[in-house]
Amino acid sequence: MAATSTTANAPSALTFPREIFAALQPRQYLLAHLSPASKSQTSVRPNGRKPTEFRKLSVNTDSLTHCNGSAVVRMGNTAVVCGVRGEILLARDVPNPPTISTNDEDNDRDELARLGLLVPNVELSTGSNPSHIPGQAPSGLAQSLASRLLQLLSTTGLVASKDLRIWYQPIIEQEPEVGSEPEIIAYWTLYLDILYISLDGAALDAAWLAMLAALRSVKLPKAWWDPDMEAIICSDSIADAKALSLRGLPIPAGFAVFDETPEGVEDTTQEKGWILADPDQFEEEHCREHISVVVDMSGDAANSIRAIDKRGGSFVDVEKMRTIVDLTQQRWKECKDVLDAQST
Amino acid sequence: MTVSAPNARLTTLHRADGSATYSHGGYSILGSVNGPIEVTRRDELPEEAAVEVIVRPSVGVGSPKERHLESIIHSLLRSVILTRKLPRSLIQIVLQVMTLPEESEESMSPTASTCSLPLLPHLLQTALLALLSSALPLSMTFSSILVALSSRDHQDVPTFSPTPQGIRSATSLHVFTFSQRGRCLISESSGTFSFNAYVEAYKVAEKMCTDPVGQDQDEDIMVGLDEPAHNLTSFVRSKVAEKVESEQRWRRNS
Repeated sequence: MAATSTTANAPSALTFPREIFAALQPRQYLLAHLSPASKSQTSVRPNGRKPTEFRKLSVNTDSLTHCNGSAVVRMGNTAVVCGVRGEILLARDVPNPPTISTNDEDNDRDELARLGLLVPNVELSTGSNPSHIPGQAPSGLAQSLASRLLQLLSTTGLVASKDLRIWYQPIIEQEPEVGSEPEIIAYWTLYLDILYISLDGAALDAAWLAMLAALRSVKLPKAWWDPDMEAIICSDSIADAKALSLRGLPIPAGFAVFDETPEGVEDTTQEKGWILADPDQFEEEHCREHISVVVDMSGDAANSIRAIDKRGGSFVDVEKMRTIVDLTQQRWKECKDVLDAQST
Repeated sequence: MTVSAPNARLTTLHRADGSATYSHGGYSILGSVNGPIEVTRRDELPEEAAVEVIVRPSVGVGSPKERHLESIIHSLLRSVILTRKLPRSLIQIVLQVMTLPEESEESMSPTASTCSLPLLPHLLQTALLALLSSALPLSMTFSSILVALSSRDHQDVPTFSPTPQGIRSATSLHVFTFSQRGRCLISESSGTFSFNAYVEAYKVAEKMCTDPVGQDQDEDIMVGLDEPAHNLTSFVRSKVAEKVESEQRWRRNS
């Protein structure tokens, strides 16, 4: 009897609840989750997903009424709203207008960039995440995201500048049948405002998907130059409004690499690591290496990669990059189905 | 397929802890390193040094594009500098773009250019040289290169450090950074390309960036001096050799 009571009172091994373990030893916590207990088991992340499992994407478009196009995108606890507003830029207000070659419609990158017709803006300080305090100047991350979105818009050539031109054909009173050369009187400038409602990792993916869905839902009203009023007039009729003809469907996917090497140990021989697809905030904070790939399978399937961005570590080499690109291509199909279901 | 030799001078500023001027293919960048210095409470890290990277453009003040470049450089230098050896301090790296090549997108319309890749390898090289000059503890050295792929007769032709015209006509641009032991540290690509094209760019960049001398000859530092600096690791090696040489002057003269 006495013997049993002493074993019960003996100090047991130090144990913590899950949350305290995660807060005290985040890397150990992640490692304990990822290394399977036995050979037959697969690793499971703390959030219950498999290492290469993405979060479910849900999209809702046209929820903002006073935008030309809008979308709310949600992936797990990351929720982003994007609104696209069109404003008119008069061609006469442009100093040094670029020369427009109307026969080379596919190469309008320069025109869009020089005129600045696409203006993405990212707002993180909405209380979306404790690390971004509301009411402060745009953080480095917000600026970096905006810059990356603009860069992606430019390299993918998603928006065609021909959709943004407003033409005017002057009528010569003496010979109306001859007709003169049509001229570009104005441009639509698209302001792409991206607000994070909540941020739980994969910031770029969510922002781009929201922007893509919003651009797909954009309807620009019919606009024309009224020579008597000397102003651009927009039609009220929704039947006259036109959608944008977007080129392709580039979809990004983010990955983080968790390697077993403890932080601060520079051991290049250590090869054990996990590639985590679509990391959440906790995983992003404790992984140093981040990879983001953008693919577009809608056109030429062989040349489908639009961008690769890998930084912060040296775990991923060419072979591992191949698996990451394959995973992104699978993700592309999932995202396409969700976006298509929304637009029909 | 060679690279025009880059040019660099170490310790060009006398008040900074370390500095370097690097010029290559029309780009010229001045980098300075200060550290370890006092850190503000907000940025202080209890177990490692905070690394701050500031990129200053040739014209005007920094824009979101510079913030993006800073974030890439920061993610690399954080693992290159042995920050755990200098806890609760700050290492500040300032990279000032001095000149850009004529006719490049950046120099013609600085606000309009969206692609930040052509500048990135030069910034990284400058940062490394400035860090070497400051004698901060580093875990490795690295070299960085821009590869442009342009399609000719359905073949992807790689070009190293392309001219502004080459950049404009390229189908994809790739920036790779390799450690001297051949580990890929940064890979930034944009454009339209297949995975095979990526592998090709990776392979040629790896060859250009990693050490041809071999790992077992590390002690023989002077090897890289006589051959032309076509390999970027040999280039860094020769710069370190020059630095050691000038620091050892007093010993030889006595």
